[in-house]
Amino acid sequence: MTTAQLDKMRLELRRGVLVLAVLASLRQRHYGYSLRRQLQDNGIDIDEGTLYPLVRRLAEQGLLDSEWQQGEGRERRYYQLSELGAELLQQLTQEWTTLNNALGPLLQPELNTLPGQPEEQG
Amino acid sequence: MDLVKRYIAAVQRELPEAKRQEIGRELNANIMDQLDALAEQHGGALSEQQVADILKTMGHPRHIARQFCPPAPLIPVHLMPLYKHTLFMVLGVLFVLQVVFMTKGWLTGTDMGLLLFIKGLASGFIADAVFGFTAITVGFAVAFNGKQPGSCNTSSQWQPQDLPPVSAGWQHISLSDIFTDLATYAFLLLLIWFPLWQQTFAGAAPASEIFSPLALVMLMWFSPVILLGVLSSLWQLRQRIWSRQSLALNVLVNLAFCMMFLLLAASGPLLQLDTERWARYFSPDAFQDSIRISLVIIALFPGYEVLRDLLRLKRMAAN
Repeated sequence: MTTAQLDKMRLELRRGVLVLAVLASLRQRHYGYSLRRQLQDNGIDIDEGTLYPLVRRLAEQGLLDSEWQQGEGRERRYYQLSELGAELLQQLTQEWTTLNNALGPLLQPELNTLPGQPEEQG
Repeated sequence: MDLVKRYIAAVQRELPEAKRQEIGRELNANIMDQLDALAEQHGGALSEQQVADILKTMGHPRHIARQFCPPAPLIPVHLMPLYKHTLFMVLGVLFVLQVVFMTKGWLTGTDMGLLLFIKGLASGFIADAVFGFTAITVGFAVAFNGKQPGSCNTSSQWQPQDLPPVSAGWQHISLSDIFTDLATYAFLLLLIWFPLWQQTFAGAAPASEIFSPLALVMLMWFSPVILLGVLSSLWQLRQRIWSRQSLALNVLVNLAFCMMFLLLAASGPLLQLDTERWARYFSPDAFQDSIRISLVIIALFPGYEVLRDLLRLKRMAAN
């Protein structure tokens, strides 16, 4: 597999998960940069060019509430999960858990190989 | 911070008017937060080069603007098959109409040779096609702008029982084949009937300026078969899958065409030639002979289709 193919598939895989990560992080109030730091601290690296537009889109869909506030001498737009967003996050979390439980065994090669069957065929 | 202002202004230029202010304000707050955090990390104010490096890692202003407001395609992806089908159908009809108009012009005009006819046909079709393409694209863009998939399609109303039976690859009839046949039939009908209709309309006795009297009578009697060909093509346009009935009709039409061309080749001169004018360049007999040979070669095409369709009928009967 080429690097380009891997990058494309990784991007596809991450796209849906990032929405879930952002929604989950915004159970607490955050402004753009603090949200990015929070995600980074939890091992999810996302560039600004992707995160800020994503947050705006989620807000436009009514999943986030937002308000401008002065903080540390600068105005910032704070985001937090809305009621609708909280409902959606709950459903998505269930979906993720189901998917993750199903994927776990599939991703372990030794469990997917029948007894007596070689793992790789030459 | 001039670089940051320039960067944000560049992003705003790529955004719709209504969103420029809001997105610019938010982007500015986010960038300033990031710069402050980095300055704190470095223990002092950032140099212009460091600010430039951070902006560079954020991405090109156009890319950022596209992330905030992704461009909407003129034709939504879920409508692309319908769009392509409509485009092909309209271009096919325009091609047939262009053949009709050019043939009419060719038959009424005095100065139009074969090359001018072909050139007129090509340029006229390209002009019509450009107009058709633009009209359909704009029509789709306006009619379906912002509509969600499923709001105007019938994909939820289908039934598995309505699907055509499994068929071989050759059973699918391409639109280009159908429209080429239709254009050929329209051309032949006009070639035979338009001069006669003009003369009758002018009160003169009907006589062709192109075909010899015997060839004209044969072609006039052959016209119902050409009309049958038109009907066969329209049927194919509706079904788009070869069935036994449509194959049998195609065999009949092509057989009639093949025999007609062979009869025309055998029955003597096909065209009325100005022998005195052309005698200097080539012998009229040699020219008529070459037309006869051409007719035999032309007859091979429908002859081939007859054999091909008979084999297909046999194959269908065996399954």
